Amino acid sequence: MITLTINDKEITLEKPVTVLEAAKQAGIKIPTLCYHEAVKPFGGCRLCVVEVERMPRLQTACTLTAADGMIVRTESETISRVRRGILEFLLINHPLDCPYCDKAGECELQDLVKKYGPTVGRFKEEKRRVPESHKDQILARNMERCVVCTRCVRMCNDVQGASAISIMGRAGYSRMEPFSSASFNCEYCGNCLTVCPVGAILSRLYIHSFRPWQVDREVETVCSYCGVGCSLVVQVRDESIKRVIPKIGFGLNKGLLCSRGRFGYEYINSPDRLKTPLVRKNGKLEESTWSEALTIIADKLTKIKKADGGSAIAGIASPRCSNEDNYVFQKFMRMACGTNNIDSISRTGFAAAQKYFEDVLGQGITANIIEGLKNSETILVLGGDPTAINPILGLSIREAARRGAKIIVLGNAKGLERFKTLQLVPEVFKEADLLDALLVEISHAKGVRGEISAIDKGIRMLSEKSAGNKNVQGFDELKNILMSSPSTSIVLGMDIVQRTDGHRALFAIAGLTYLLEARLYLLSEKPNEQGLIDAGCVPDMLPGGRPLSIHDFKRKFEDLWNGAIPEDDGMTLFEIIEGARGNKIKALYLMGENPVFNLPGKFYIKESLKALDFLVVQDIFLTETAEIADVVLPALGWTEKTGTYTNLERRIQLQKKAVEVSHGMEDWRIISEVSNKMGYRMDYAESKDIMDEMAKVSPLYRDLTYREISYGNCLWPYLGEPLRGEISEVPEASYVANQYKEDFYLSVEKPLYHSGTLSRRSPALLKMYPEPALKVGAKSAEKLGLNEGDRVQFFTQTGSREAAVSIDESIKDNRVYFSNNFQGDGVYSLMTCNIDKVTKAPGIEGCEVKIKKL
Amino acid sequence: MFNETVLKEINDIRVKYPDRRSALLPSLYIAQREFGWLSHEAMLCVSKTLNLPEAEVRGTASFYAMFKNKPVGRHVIQLCTNVSCMILGAEKLVDFIGNKYGVQPGGISQDGRFSLVIMECIGACGTAPAMLVDTDFYDSLTEKRIEEILEGYK
Repeated sequence: MITLTINDKEITLEKPVTVLEAAKQAGIKIPTLCYHEAVKPFGGCRLCVVEVERMPRLQTACTLTAADGMIVRTESETISRVRRGILEFLLINHPLDCPYCDKAGECELQDLVKKYGPTVGRFKEEKRRVPESHKDQILARNMERCVVCTRCVRMCNDVQGASAISIMGRAGYSRMEPFSSASFNCEYCGNCLTVCPVGAILSRLYIHSFRPWQVDREVETVCSYCGVGCSLVVQVRDESIKRVIPKIGFGLNKGLLCSRGRFGYEYINSPDRLKTPLVRKNGKLEESTWSEALTIIADKLTKIKKADGGSAIAGIASPRCSNEDNYVFQKFMRMACGTNNIDSISRTGFAAAQKYFEDVLGQGITANIIEGLKNSETILVLGGDPTAINPILGLSIREAARRGAKIIVLGNAKGLERFKTLQLVPEVFKEADLLDALLVEISHAKGVRGEISAIDKGIRMLSEKSAGNKNVQGFDELKNILMSSPSTSIVLGMDIVQRTDGHRALFAIAGLTYLLEARLYLLSEKPNEQGLIDAGCVPDMLPGGRPLSIHDFKRKFEDLWNGAIPEDDGMTLFEIIEGARGNKIKALYLMGENPVFNLPGKFYIKESLKALDFLVVQDIFLTETAEIADVVLPALGWTEKTGTYTNLERRIQLQKKAVEVSHGMEDWRIISEVSNKMGYRMDYAESKDIMDEMAKVSPLYRDLTYREISYGNCLWPYLGEPLRGEISEVPEASYVANQYKEDFYLSVEKPLYHSGTLSRRSPALLKMYPEPALKVGAKSAEKLGLNEGDRVQFFTQTGSREAAVSIDESIKDNRVYFSNNFQGDGVYSLMTCNIDKVTKAPGIEGCEVKIKKL
Repeated sequence: MFNETVLKEINDIRVKYPDRRSALLPSLYIAQREFGWLSHEAMLCVSKTLNLPEAEVRGTASFYAMFKNKPVGRHVIQLCTNVSCMILGAEKLVDFIGNKYGVQPGGISQDGRFSLVIMECIGACGTAPAMLVDTDFYDSLTEKRIEEILEGYK
């Protein structure tokens, strides 16, 4: 216990903190400028000086640790004089252009000068002139206003880990600059923007467009981009989003944001948004009314159901829609249409992997808190770059590295280049061999754990076959690190899963998780991949992860839902597409999904969907799939509706409505209207009613209310009961190992600045990464004789594309990367797929690529 | 990129320190020696060799006056104009050098032979005015003496 006195007030501290924090706890405010709670104290600005008895000089409260018996004064004549002096010095060069500056009204310097500052300055010298830099497309840099508090630099170096900016020059000429002195070319997280106390760094998205006090309302909500689900605040004026700002210390991201979350919001105001329902008439999509469109859908689905049975209808749900949307969707498919053919794009990775791990290791195995990564001693990263797919999760890995944890990267991960301890580069598509060998070696060293017999058996079989290949540089070091690590986390991206033998890698990872007692994190590109599984948008499970095959569960849901649920497991995503092609599926209902663009083999999928009798697409944009639909319905997007989302750590969070729009309807409302027209009653007035029902029927959400969720701490297992099942045998399938012999392989790029196809409508994100480039490793570029910016044509068996080359030194193997985000043909259109028989995920094939310089 | 010899030289420096950052200043000197001045390319080479952020390298380089942030002539004249040197006529010497060799303070002569840098005190007040040419030190300067000295730098 530490007891100190601040301003005659006695304060008792549990643990040693700085005097500044102790004062804050006691409700005493000490002025600061260079201090920010998100970065480490620095003691640079000297504004927080306090008097401490028996200490000779004034002390900086932000760096002074409180000690027992200290007597501190935070305000006195001397202190005020010193503060006034400091501010007078700061204002020598500050332009005092407050009427013109966007920061006025929320500027810390302005507030401080108002309170402590001199009314007149005594310096007659010319002010430093540094023209405002508009050379960057996202951030405006005004170094006349800068007070060199270095918060931005400390944020960039110590928290974000991008180290893109630094203080250049010396003394009166010091200024913050990126390396290039013009464009930042950084990760564009904008966290420097959060911490800048003055108007030195401003976002060009809203510069000179409004004043901080001119907002109609602020809504605390959750980001719509990836599976992390960061909390943020949306500021609204005239029913449009003015800006997105973080709330420091709030939410699982603690006020940090990434490029997509902070700058990617503009898509919601895009002029391309769908406004009215469209109905195909004489081969053309024409504007229609809601009542016409909904009647056509209900009639057509009823007719098909009657003629061919419910099993001729299928639905694809969306990981971008809320739990409520997805719950209503699967209920509609099961009860109104009478089919279990419900799946989603998550089948291509997350849902497949998640199901596999839960089958093998037990339900909830992937529900680990992101914050926990920071405490891991070893982090094994494979199958993708976490700092690009889930940037805020990536920050936890960087934080762990800074703390001294060992970061092992398998394959390529650009964002961890300066943070990794060890990188292994296995042969392309042979990652499973390396993992098998690792599993066998570790099981030999550790012995049988004997808890889950199925896994032990699987490992024994691998061991008998002496499977795998340890002939990869760094293998022994990797093994030694893992063997001696007291706490291990495994961060798995989906690139490894999307192979025809993807289940092999999954088993090896499950085995490693089991033997090392590791925590498992699945990277999730979309915001609600976990939520849609929990809501029951999978062909073999009812809400709450209840297997359809267990009769008691099925009967319970039938009682609650007033009707009969079809007996057999439905079709998975690719079975649905095959079914459409083979005329087994006649009608397909798509909620917020664009399979033509987002699945490998564009032309094959487009043809399959064209073979359907009836295709309904519900979306916010006229997507490539919507263009071939029979009916297109405009849905509502982020900030236009309320709903809950479940992130990759299985935290349920509430996305709140912030703006009022006149067009479109919530996804769940559209579906319940169709359902009502088809004769299955759904009476929900607002999304809260759906959550109330889910809380009743799904054991995962038991007794959960919006009020409780809005506190943000609803983590697995919520209030429900975990359902652990044990399997006797690990599912295995025979597969034909492909003999790859090409020089280069095409892979899907997961860019930091883009996400699915939403981001192509965000002007800011397009400025960061305007057009797709072929990312080539330095070695490959040398081999091909390519330079940065060269135009190339690259061919796979399925097609070819032209693009500029971008050389990326973080790519160590002979992969080349191309994105699937931009308008036009994405990388998926050049690939084919083959289903993994166990996970039903697509094994992406046809990646052998030839590159020709133009 | 640096050649093998330079890479080895930097690596020899690097192993002397517990972390890479500490090797930054000596590595920047080597880069300046190799490139003449610290161009973006030179700083990128240092950044890559030491695996340090580019911005940090430039931030450090821009702090120190003796790291040159623009191209310099074949020889750098660093002339002091601080109190003692000024009293003893250093400013006239600046004009002299300017007229004779066509190089202004902070500039570079047309033929690329000399750059002129005005230095703060170089610690030779007793024998002022004083200057450095590259790394060689000269004091008690007069116009005539400067002419003689600079003859030796082609």
